[in-house]
Amino acid sequence: MSKSTKWRWLAAMLATLAVLVVAACGDDEDGGGGGGGASADVEQFPADTTMGRIQEAGSIKVGVKYDVPPFGFQNPQTDEIEGFDVDLARAVADALGVELDPIEAISDNRIPFLMDGTADLILSTMTINTERDAEIDFSDPYFVARGRILVPGDSDIQGIDDLGGQKVCTAVGSTYEETLKEQAPDAELVLIDEYSGCLTRLQEGSVDAISTDDVILTGMIIQDDTLELVGDELTTEPYGAGIKDGDKEFQEFVNGVFEEYKSDPRWAESYEKWVGQYTGQEQEPTDLSLQEALEISG
Amino acid sequence: MVELWEAIADNFPELASGYWLTVRTVTISFVIALVIGTAVALLRIAPTRVLRAIGTVYVEVFRGLPLLVLLIMAFSGLRRAGVPITATVAGPATLGLYTAAYVAEILRSGFFAVGKGQREASLSLGLDGGQTMRHVVLPQAFRTVIPPLASLTVAMIKNSAIIGGSLLATQDLLKEARIEVGASGNATPLFFWAAVGYLTLTVGATVIARRLETRYAVRR
Repeated sequence: MSKSTKWRWLAAMLATLAVLVVAACGDDEDGGGGGGGASADVEQFPADTTMGRIQEAGSIKVGVKYDVPPFGFQNPQTDEIEGFDVDLARAVADALGVELDPIEAISDNRIPFLMDGTADLILSTMTINTERDAEIDFSDPYFVARGRILVPGDSDIQGIDDLGGQKVCTAVGSTYEETLKEQAPDAELVLIDEYSGCLTRLQEGSVDAISTDDVILTGMIIQDDTLELVGDELTTEPYGAGIKDGDKEFQEFVNGVFEEYKSDPRWAESYEKWVGQYTGQEQEPTDLSLQEALEISG
Repeated sequence: MVELWEAIADNFPELASGYWLTVRTVTISFVIALVIGTAVALLRIAPTRVLRAIGTVYVEVFRGLPLLVLLIMAFSGLRRAGVPITATVAGPATLGLYTAAYVAEILRSGFFAVGKGQREASLSLGLDGGQTMRHVVLPQAFRTVIPPLASLTVAMIKNSAIIGGSLLATQDLLKEARIEVGASGNATPLFFWAAVGYLTLTVGATVIARRLETRYAVRR
């Protein structure tokens, strides 16, 4: 390479770098003003709070499910991550005036994600319980799901009492491991990473039933209408957002956002869009407190 | 430190049952890999073109596909085709057949590492083809393939963890650790013990290989 060519390369690289820097700064300004009208009157938080740190970063990393329609899933048409949990995550992002950065959180990595800072907040169909409460903090409940059993339409299983000796699928790290061990001790558990795996195995007959929250099972019925929900409600599952242990300020902030979200039409609209139109059921936003939720699910 | 000992004390039965499943899985897979791998290696060096082609196809298919894809084909695929295979059978069988492709290639290279002159000398001494194979070529080939077979075995032990994480969902060592992490959220100590479990197996395999190497070493 001749000397003059070298200089030309250097100049070109510096120019590219300059363009990138300008572009990056431009993005920052966009981020600050992003989110439309909502962000104009957004409160700016001190830099030493989680809220301030997120505002500094310009985006909030929220762990959501990618395979649990209708709460958190990838829309096959648009590739966007959508769902009830994602709507709520967006409300939190809007309240901070930052972009929403969804990351995939499966049941057994979401608590570590919070602990190591991979995620700022977890909104992934996570039931509030005391075991988890020892590791992380929860927001107030934002939704109450019920535990049910899903079987093929021609199955003999009609409820929890018929599960003895049957293979029952649920997700690794979900509350249903414990629930099933207690309520159906003779059932053989198959624990898979993702609920989509449970659906595959139910369809090909290598498990006899799936047990988890009714909303997740509803998502499976949307995909395959030969399946049906049977039996009584096994459990009450109040969903809460996961927050890093001890971060009281952020917990209060998130609770405030949820309070507002539940009282204006956004909660009801999101519910109708993702759940109501498929189940034909109506539901009021839950007014359970975190303490009550912890007592219910133990 | 206390946390580490508590984690093993509280979860010992689960971790032990996972460890036992991992031991069984890798043992069965290892036997399948050696038997099938030797057979495929023999096909690969067979004097007939058709036999060689069969061996080549086997190696290309089983070595060319990701283990996860093979597992799902062997389990979900067969079940959809009407074969009622269980995860306990599909897992070790697939891992064994997958590893066999690598075994075959290692054995083939070991076979070719024995100089042609050795074979010619043996035949000219009046041994027939089979005797040459058994008494002259294979003993020398075996010696050269011990180190690569040891590496492969270590890789196979680690690969066994893919079975539990897949759709097959068997509860091997890593899976049991993950299940207990899900229940307690206490990831680091539980994964530490899972790591210790895998190390006992991989280091164990290496030590056995080292012994075999010493035993069959030729002092020159």
